[in-house]
Amino acid sequence: GKVPASSILASAPSDKNLDAWRESGCRTTHCNLEVLQESTLVFLATKPHVLPGVLQEIRPAVGPHHIVVSLAAGVTLQTLQRLLPAGTKVLRLMPNLPCVVQAGAMVFARGSGAGDGEAALLKSLLSSCGLCEEVPESYINIHTGLSGSGVAYVYLFAEALAEGAVKMGMPGGLASRIAAQTLLGAAKMMLETGEHPAKLRGDVCTPGGTTIHALHQLEKGALRATVMNAVEAATNRACDVAED
Amino acid sequence: LQKMGVNFTVSNKDTVKSSDVLFLAVKPPIIPFILEEVGPDIEDRHIVVSCAAGVTISSIEKKLSTFCPTPKVIRCMTNTPVIVREGATVYATGTHADVEDGKLLEQLMASVGFCTEVEEDLIDAVTGLSGSGPAYAFTALDALADGGVKMGLPRRLAVRLGAQALLGAAKMLLESEQHPGQLKDNVCSPGGATIHALHFLESGGFRSLLINAVEASCIRTRELQHLADQEKISPAAIKKTLLDKVKLESPSLSMASASKVSLFTSKSPSSKKN
Repeated sequence: GKVPASSILASAPSDKNLDAWRESGCRTTHCNLEVLQESTLVFLATKPHVLPGVLQEIRPAVGPHHIVVSLAAGVTLQTLQRLLPAGTKVLRLMPNLPCVVQAGAMVFARGSGAGDGEAALLKSLLSSCGLCEEVPESYINIHTGLSGSGVAYVYLFAEALAEGAVKMGMPGGLASRIAAQTLLGAAKMMLETGEHPAKLRGDVCTPGGTTIHALHQLEKGALRATVMNAVEAATNRACDVAED
Repeated sequence: LQKMGVNFTVSNKDTVKSSDVLFLAVKPPIIPFILEEVGPDIEDRHIVVSCAAGVTISSIEKKLSTFCPTPKVIRCMTNTPVIVREGATVYATGTHADVEDGKLLEQLMASVGFCTEVEEDLIDAVTGLSGSGPAYAFTALDALADGGVKMGLPRRLAVRLGAQALLGAAKMLLESEQHPGQLKDNVCSPGGATIHALHFLESGGFRSLLINAVEASCIRTRELQHLADQEKISPAAIKKTLLDKVKLESPSLSMASASKVSLFTSKSPSSKKN
C-alpha cells in the first residue's frame, strides 16, 4: 500500500512463511533482532503463546525510537508493556481476515508510551487495508466477536442463502456468487449512504411483497437474537482466552 | 351521549329523515336488516357510513340499490381510542360517493384522531394493525406493569409509567423523521440496561409475534367477511332470533349536529358463529 516493499523486513523462524514476503519484494531474515535494528515500526505477528518469548529476545534491542505493534490476540497492553522497556511506544492491533483483499476492519489501542503521532501513523498506514479505527482497549475483544469472528458468520449466512437458492432450482456456483455479491452490495450501500440498516431494510420491502414475507421467516427464527448471542459468545471467549 | 346534548330516538326511520350522514355502527350481521329497514328512506343527500368490520362497500351498495339508484356509501375502519380523540381511522369511498363526501367524513373523524383515505382492499390489513392494535398494546402494558411490580413497583404506578412510556415513544415516533430502529438505537447505550432487555425480546421472537398477530387479525377479518358474503345462515332465521331481541333491548341514537350526523348502534347479543 503506502510503503515500498524494499522498506519492509520480515522475520520468521523458517522459510515457509517468508516466501510470500519475498515474492512481493520484501527483504527477509531469520533474525528477529535484525528487524529491530533495521526498522522503526515493528509488527509482532506471532501466535500469542510464542510472543512472551519473542519479547524477551528482542527487549535488549528495543529503543525509544521504536513503535511496537502487537497483533497477538488476547495479549494485553499491560503484558506487552511489562515485557518491554519502560516507556516503549506500544500499540495493540486487531485486524480481520478481509485485510488480505484490502477490505479489512481493524481496531487498535495505544499503550501509555504511544502518542497521537504513532496512532496517526498506524491509522494512515493501515487504511490502505480497509477500515482502521482507534479504540479503547476494552473494545478489542468486542471487535473480535463482531468482526474478527464475524467474517465467519457472514460465510455461514452466504452459504445458507445459496442453499436456499439451490433448493429453489439454481445451480450452486451461480447461487454462491450471487449470494456474495448481494452481501457486498448491501454492505456497500450501508457504508456509502450512512443510512440506518433498518431504514435500508424498509426501503426494500414493498407492501405485501416477497421481501417482507421472507423477513417474517427470519424474525420467526429469532435470527436477530441468535446473531447477538454469537457476538456475545465470541467476545466472552476472547475475554476468557486473554486471561489465560 | 344524551349528556352531551345528543338527540335520542328509538326510531331508525326518524334518524334517517333528520340526518345527512348516517353512521351504521351495528354488528356486521345486523347490517343487512338495518339497510332493509332504512333503505326506503335513503335519499340522494344521504351518506351512509359503515363501520362494520368485514362488510364490503359492494354488499351495502347492492342492498341499497333496490331502494336508491346511486347510494353514497363510505366504508370506514376505526379503533377504540377515538374515545380519547386518538383514534386511527381509514375510509374507502364507494361508487357514488364524491370526493367532498370523503372529505366530510375525513373532517369528522379527524376530530377524534388520525384519519386518511385508503383503497378498500387495505381495510383488512388496517384492522389487523390499528383496529386490533390497542389490544396488543393493552396486553403489552399489562405485562410491562407486571415486570414493574416484580421489580418492586406498586401496581398503579407501574401501569401509569408503562402507559406513559408507550405514549411517549409513540409520540416521539410520530413527531420524528427518524426510523424507529434509529430511535431504538438512541436509547441503547453500549453494554447498558436497554440493550440487555432488547436481547431478551429478540430471543423471544418479539418482532415475529407482533407480525404474526397483525397477520392473524387481518386473515380472520377476511375469513369473517367471506363467511358473511356467503350468507350461510338463512337471513330469516337470524332475523327472527336477533332482530326482535335488538328492538327490545336497545334503542338507536341520533346525533344532531350542524351537518346532521346519525349514529346507529345496537347492543347485539352474542350472535351465532357463522
